[in-house]
Amino acid sequence: MSFEMWTEKYRPKSLDEMVNQSHIVQRLKSFVEAKNIPHCIFAGPPGTGKTTAALCLAHDLYGEVYREYLMELNASDERGINVIRETVKTFARARSMGEIPFKILILDEADNMTADAQQALRRTMERYTETCRFILIANYSGRIIEPIQSRCAPFRFTYLPREEHDKYLMYIAENEKVELLKDGLDAIYEVCGGDLRKAINTLQAAASLGKPVNAEVVYSVVGHANPVDVREMIKLAMKGDFIKARDKLREMIFRYGVAASDIVRQIHTEIFRLDVPEAWKIKLADIVGEIDFRITQGADEEVQLSALLAQLVEAGYQIGKET
Amino acid sequence: MVFKSMWTAWTVKHKPRTLAGVIGNKEAIQKLVEWVKSWDKGIPKKRAAFLYGPPGIGKTVTVEALANDLKMELVEKNASDYRTEKAIQRFAGLASQYGTLFGRKRLILLDELDGITGREDAGGLKAIMNIVKTAKCPIILIANDPYDPRFTALRQLCLMIEFKKPRVREVQRLLQRICMLEGINAEEAALRFIAQRSQGDVRSAINDLQALAQGKKRLTFDDVSWLAYRDRKEKIFEVLRLIFYSRTCDGAKRAVAMADVDLDMLFEWVYENLPYHIRDPQDLAEAMESLAKADLYRGRIRLTQDWKLQSYVIDFMTAGVAMARKRTKPAGWVPLRFPERIKWLSKTKAERELRAAIAKKIKRKCHISATRAIKEYIPYLRIIFENNSEMANKIAEWLDLNEHMKAYLSGKN
Repeated sequence: MSFEMWTEKYRPKSLDEMVNQSHIVQRLKSFVEAKNIPHCIFAGPPGTGKTTAALCLAHDLYGEVYREYLMELNASDERGINVIRETVKTFARARSMGEIPFKILILDEADNMTADAQQALRRTMERYTETCRFILIANYSGRIIEPIQSRCAPFRFTYLPREEHDKYLMYIAENEKVELLKDGLDAIYEVCGGDLRKAINTLQAAASLGKPVNAEVVYSVVGHANPVDVREMIKLAMKGDFIKARDKLREMIFRYGVAASDIVRQIHTEIFRLDVPEAWKIKLADIVGEIDFRITQGADEEVQLSALLAQLVEAGYQIGKET
Repeated sequence: MVFKSMWTAWTVKHKPRTLAGVIGNKEAIQKLVEWVKSWDKGIPKKRAAFLYGPPGIGKTVTVEALANDLKMELVEKNASDYRTEKAIQRFAGLASQYGTLFGRKRLILLDELDGITGREDAGGLKAIMNIVKTAKCPIILIANDPYDPRFTALRQLCLMIEFKKPRVREVQRLLQRICMLEGINAEEAALRFIAQRSQGDVRSAINDLQALAQGKKRLTFDDVSWLAYRDRKEKIFEVLRLIFYSRTCDGAKRAVAMADVDLDMLFEWVYENLPYHIRDPQDLAEAMESLAKADLYRGRIRLTQDWKLQSYVIDFMTAGVAMARKRTKPAGWVPLRFPERIKWLSKTKAERELRAAIAKKIKRKCHISATRAIKEYIPYLRIIFENNSEMANKIAEWLDLNEHMKAYLSGKN
């Protein structure tokens, strides 16, 4: 059956099909030629081709049966130390039967692994180098412990340049017989900022409406994809209605499953769009930053975000007094 | 008690000497007095009165005051005196006469009947019944639970008189009177708190008052609010009031000892109710920040398993919150709110499970974690499922979604 999600349908299968990140693709191709790869870290923002590059590399190395030599693990879903101890070890130590003496383990979102799990991983990587190569995928390589970093070849992925982005989306639109207008394309780029997965999903959702895809369609799709308005929540708080603002927050978290990290990021963006004195914006950013840090450290998301809302209530009150 | 001479229990010191000083139970007392007085006209049908009701509400005190008022000679036996049939027969003789040698009338009180144990006091109850049947003077029996099957036969012979818990206001007035006599200036709220806590047990209320106020000139709400948390469990409402309205750190921190929920649950209660009580913007920000700090320490405990840190959790979720209240005026009566987020969690459980199941399907096909699929795919799928059934059906088939999942994505559940 064909792929029905366009992100999969148009995902390159081999390194040759990868149009972007050319300096990285070059090096990966040289690994394929040598039939050997080191442990790797693919770091970079979402939707820039990290997972795709890893899959392509495996495909080119092992051919069509590459899935037999590959294991994909996702640290966000299974980030405990036990996964490393059991699943990873079992896979890593089993000898490969084929021409190439090692298998590949892709550890996606590796920056979400606990420090303990990373330590366990480090030993596994050393011990089973002969039989298994690791590709660690992360948004921030800095979150991966130094000993692992030093054992890996680093690859830094960057957002797609505008032309590449446009070329890719126009190709998809043409192939899917979707009328993608210039201002629609601009809007997608503005909203997704070079995150190709998000861009393709936005395009597909927009196309599902059965209309030519213009800026208006794109913005309405984006609006629907973010059903609860962070801006509205901020406004409620700044007006002094903490309780209503907290209700909105709960709706986002519980009803729509919006991740706290995303809410924080959106609040951060919105703050600079607020109609408040400039000096306040940076004060507010400081508060947001602190809360962001705490959530990353594992604090309770709702409680921390509520504390942030309460600070916004106070800020709204102070700004009101000043002006 | 080592310093017995210096220390007198206020329950004894301030015991009413006359019936007028006994609080509550006016009807029961009236009934009892009439029955005792009826002996002057000859032996009544029921030769014994059986007073019953919960502990500490003045049953014994009533009988003592009655004897005093009527100038009767009171012969009192309680649980420590009952043993065997023989032990009881020993004072049976006393009951054979109404008037005494010195011209006073006699009243016999058998207190703490619940204390008669089956085996050791074997025959004791039988002996009591015999005395009741033949008594020539009034006999008063006291027990907490008259419906104990052991008393079935005895009940038939007795005039049953129920004693009820006095009202909070009555207890509070009594405490006020004691404070006056002891020279203590007590806040009304403090006394009301003690009275409420005692749930009608006047004896325990007086004991509480003594424990808290003896030797003091002033008694404030803060002094009492943490009150000796006997075995009675504190209602969460009072615990929260302590946290939101204490003026001292200690006062607020005592809330934890009083709460009958664990610390995490107490945290939820505080988190839910705080904004309704601490409303000034600056106070609110500070109080919520304090709660957020408590939460940070909880995180550190999870991380390090170092439970010593729990004392900081307590500091910030109680004292920190209480101290944040600087400008907020006390709200009037604010209803207690059950932690919404616990409701949300159970309300949205099915939805969240469905969402997670869909995310897993996406993960299998789209090389993305389930966690991120929720954010990066599901919102777009929703748009597609709501607007384009053809595309939606193909995707559903490809992802292997069941009907529930499809319904969820198209917003029809």
